[in-house]
Amino acid sequence: MADSYASSTARNRRRFWLVGLVGLIALTTVMIAPYFLDRYLVNVLIRALFLAVLAITVDLVWGFAGILTFGQSAFFGIGAYACALVATHYGFGPYWFFGAFLIGLAAAALTAWLVGVLSFYHGASPLYSSIITLALPIVLVQIIFAGGRFTGSSSGISGFPTYYWAVETWFVIAGVMLVVIGCFAWLFVRSDLGRILVAIRENEDRCAYLGIPVSRIKIALFTACGSIGAAAGFGYAAFTNVVAPELGGFLLGTESLIWVALGGRGTLIGPIFGAIGIDVTSSYLSGTLPFLWKFIVGVLFVIVIVLLPNGFASLVTGAWRKFGPKRRSADANDERASHSILLRPAPTVTRLGSNGEKPIIIEGLGCRYGSLSVLGDLSFEGRPGELLSIVGPNGAGKTTLMRCISNGSERTAGTVRIAGNEIAKRSPEKVVGLGVGRSFQNTSLFDSLTVGDCLRLSRYRIDGARLLRRTHHVALPKPALGILEATGLDKHLDQETRYLSHGQKRGLELAMVLATEPSVLLLDEPTAGLTKTERTAIGDVLLSLTNSYGLCVILIEHDLDFVRQISDRIVVLHEGRMVLDGSVEEVVSSDLVKSVYSGHAAEVA
Amino acid sequence: MRNGTEREAVSEQIISVARLRSGYGGGDILRDISFDLSAGEILAILGKNGMGKSTLLKTIMGFVKPKSGSIKLRGVDVTNAEPHWIARRSIAYTPQEFAIFRELTVEENLRLGVESDSLLKQRLGDVRDAFPRMTERMSQRAGTLSGGEQKMLLLCRAIVSRPDIMLIDEISEGLQPTMIERMAEILRTARSKGVAILLIEQNLNFALSIADRFAILKIGEIVESGRFEGRDTAGKLEKHLRI
Amino acid sequence: MTALFLDIVTTSAILFIVAAGLMIILGVMKLINFAHGAFLTVGGYSAYIVTDYGFSPWLTVPFAAFVGFVLGIAVERLVVRPLYSRPLDAILATWGLGIVITQIIVFAFGRGVQFAESPMSGTLEIFAVGYSAWRLTLVLVAVLLGVGLTALLYLTRFGLNARAVIMNEDLARGLGIDSVKVRVSTFGLGAALACGAGALITPLLSIDPNMGLPWLVNSFMLVLVSGVAIPGLALASLLLGGAQVVVSTFVSPILGGVTIVVFAAILLRIRPKGLFGG
Repeated sequence: MADSYASSTARNRRRFWLVGLVGLIALTTVMIAPYFLDRYLVNVLIRALFLAVLAITVDLVWGFAGILTFGQSAFFGIGAYACALVATHYGFGPYWFFGAFLIGLAAAALTAWLVGVLSFYHGASPLYSSIITLALPIVLVQIIFAGGRFTGSSSGISGFPTYYWAVETWFVIAGVMLVVIGCFAWLFVRSDLGRILVAIRENEDRCAYLGIPVSRIKIALFTACGSIGAAAGFGYAAFTNVVAPELGGFLLGTESLIWVALGGRGTLIGPIFGAIGIDVTSSYLSGTLPFLWKFIVGVLFVIVIVLLPNGFASLVTGAWRKFGPKRRSADANDERASHSILLRPAPTVTRLGSNGEKPIIIEGLGCRYGSLSVLGDLSFEGRPGELLSIVGPNGAGKTTLMRCISNGSERTAGTVRIAGNEIAKRSPEKVVGLGVGRSFQNTSLFDSLTVGDCLRLSRYRIDGARLLRRTHHVALPKPALGILEATGLDKHLDQETRYLSHGQKRGLELAMVLATEPSVLLLDEPTAGLTKTERTAIGDVLLSLTNSYGLCVILIEHDLDFVRQISDRIVVLHEGRMVLDGSVEEVVSSDLVKSVYSGHAAEVA
Repeated sequence: MRNGTEREAVSEQIISVARLRSGYGGGDILRDISFDLSAGEILAILGKNGMGKSTLLKTIMGFVKPKSGSIKLRGVDVTNAEPHWIARRSIAYTPQEFAIFRELTVEENLRLGVESDSLLKQRLGDVRDAFPRMTERMSQRAGTLSGGEQKMLLLCRAIVSRPDIMLIDEISEGLQPTMIERMAEILRTARSKGVAILLIEQNLNFALSIADRFAILKIGEIVESGRFEGRDTAGKLEKHLRI
Repeated sequence: MTALFLDIVTTSAILFIVAAGLMIILGVMKLINFAHGAFLTVGGYSAYIVTDYGFSPWLTVPFAAFVGFVLGIAVERLVVRPLYSRPLDAILATWGLGIVITQIIVFAFGRGVQFAESPMSGTLEIFAVGYSAWRLTLVLVAVLLGVGLTALLYLTRFGLNARAVIMNEDLARGLGIDSVKVRVSTFGLGAALACGAGALITPLLSIDPNMGLPWLVNSFMLVLVSGVAIPGLALASLLLGGAQVVVSTFVSPILGGVTIVVFAAILLRIRPKGLFGG
């Protein structure tokens, strides 16, 4: 075990050194480049470099986290105006300059935080957050207009006091900022937390049900990116010595999206080169062929969105994959070596029955949508080590019941207590924190993440996630390890989940839910789409979960043979109400249940 | 009405399903389903929930694309056709859930069953014969009808399109016995006019009263099939269908 | 006071007319068409072409609507159809399209400002106040438009099909409705309405390549607040348009420009489905 720790730290250190080396090379290029390029190009490049930093923030927020944002430019503008306003109206000097910088960062962070709190709540539609990010630069620009002489209104402010350093010096400053931010962003997206961002982009709901605080992460990311954008804007203003409302406006915001889309969202390198490339080319062409250039960019943008959603970077990686086979296999081995995960058993937290409370008690649970009552007055309890099946005809309210147990804001009446704790109005991630694990009917996981990544992020609630590092070992509770061995997934930890078979995905999902160490497990039709052998296998797994590990498992199922074989108790629902709660024999022999299920079949024979 | 010679003459398979395999995403719901249905015949597909009955109808209608196998309607291959194209080939489908537009009126729901509004006027007689009360509720919003009346509306909409084929998914669910009997009459009348009916049912009694043949679906496969021959068949089937 | 009242009513009418096309598209296709601003501009330039060639100014709107319909059908086929399952990307792609259209306009007409002849000029005496005749006409147009769209939706077979598709596309398809055709026609209609609206507002403001842009975001917000219903849009236009006029008059015109956006953002946070939605 000490070995694995050492190798993990060694791998991280190796990655740091690699990034450091690349960074060093980039920095050296930055230092010497101005002496080889003509003055005009250097000027243009300095501005492009600052804009590339903005592009990085857009890629992090949109490319990686999936939040469509039109308004990163607003933060750029806040930073720029902080520089100009403080210098113009208050004072200039080393302390003032630095102070203005901090003011810009703080103002942007505060704005971003407010926007985040407003728009990233559980259940918010992605469209709404996009709307807010759209409104932000528009409102900001109007505020600038309304500022009259203080803000320079529509003409902006120019010629304010700044450091009139040599162009080479500014180039180095911009370049250093880009390289440093770029390197940190690179480490960030490869780290545990970076993988979680991708998971949020692909399937936000499932993240919430694994106990990951999605809203908090999004808000934190947005705030950090706001500050970084402001820093870039500050530098831009300090160099160009001009600020105008366009720097914080809607058009720059959409342009930044265009850079990222064309360069390749979610790749970091793509947006950096996209921003620099497009901005530099614009500078050269805007004099001669202004509308033709914009036209070309517009057409490329539309083509990329429609046909090549992953931008031109995907063409590059695609070509690399095709035409560099030899090199690829060698790299692949290294890659796998550096990415492979080690599994080890987690120290078991005996939550189960430790305080004598029942794992789950439901009293008077009701759920209505307007005048339609889907569930009415349900009461039952689950005991540790018990497998409880919930059955009933279609529309009986079974899935609604699962939703009401796992999400505090769904039910309209009654209480749900998990190990004695009422779930009240808690959002799913907090209910998971109380000890509830839920699996879903569909098997949508996180397509582009590997099995190992999925398992690691399932441990977020208990083991957290590193900001810049990637942990190479994942501690899993025994039941989860058991499932991985049974399905053979423990040999395929580096396989992307999109390539798994249906049965394997089910197994992985179950392992992920178990990784959150629940005391109550809610399974929604776990056998749907499985073959007979797979059904038997999963039946064995569920039995071991209750018999050997003492979990309380609650299952919705249609396969009544399956239910009969493995359940300790069965609850029958019909039209939202409980018809019967009893042992397998009681339910099977009940005439009432028969009539509920087969209409009038009881009258035959 | 139906004798041996007629049956031979109408031996054309209206629905012909061969080795059908389909499902959502990775798993398979239907595995290797094959059956035929002729004009003027009612085939009851029985089985417990989750065994693939609804998926079978959805696959035939083109909502779920089959992974392998073929579907032919009146000899025409419709395996990969679009639902709206299939729906226009004189086939009426009554889904189990979300089957009517609750926000639209009874009349508007019925209109959607026929190609043009004038046709509805001509065929109002069909509706009146089937369920006279429906004609009194034409301007009522469908969502305000009782559960049983909504099912009746569903069946009326299917009837009014005068189809050659009907795919019926658990239409008797939650209905009073008198209404179920009425529906059985309507379907028998349709059969006598030569309509081929594929009936999904959990209510064995209802299926027994009108179907000619049956097939039992279990975990996506047909485990037993044959003709309904009196109460013996019923006893045999009970063991497949009990909880 | 009368002037304020008339300002509110006419501004609401104009907002309604401009946003109607966007709303139909969102309602039937569940898509945001960010090329809406560009369509408005196309409408404006269509009006300019008509009057520049010496035709009657009353022909500007029908011509613009026709151009819009054709453009809409083409755009739906090429850009929008592949993106049915990716609504956020559809926003971006239509925005890109808007840029392309704008650049084509700049190429064809130059960056300068143009003017189109107005079908009606001068003022009308109403409630003892002289008020722009064209603005008052637009109120009538808005009412007719609302009535016409409602009639289309509730009295025609096309409208019935469209409503069916809005409520439950799969069920509609299962009944033989070709939902793709419905979508194409809807997009064409929405584009025609947008271009027509562009032609209708040219007498009030000048024509330039970016004239549609300020209307885009406001229309977008209004449509979301409306809950995608015609009465909802009328109400949203009145409420938010009225707010804009009041703020512009009594506080500052600059803040008036963002009133709709800010109020809409707040309203949507409270009632995410809009005033009439859900």
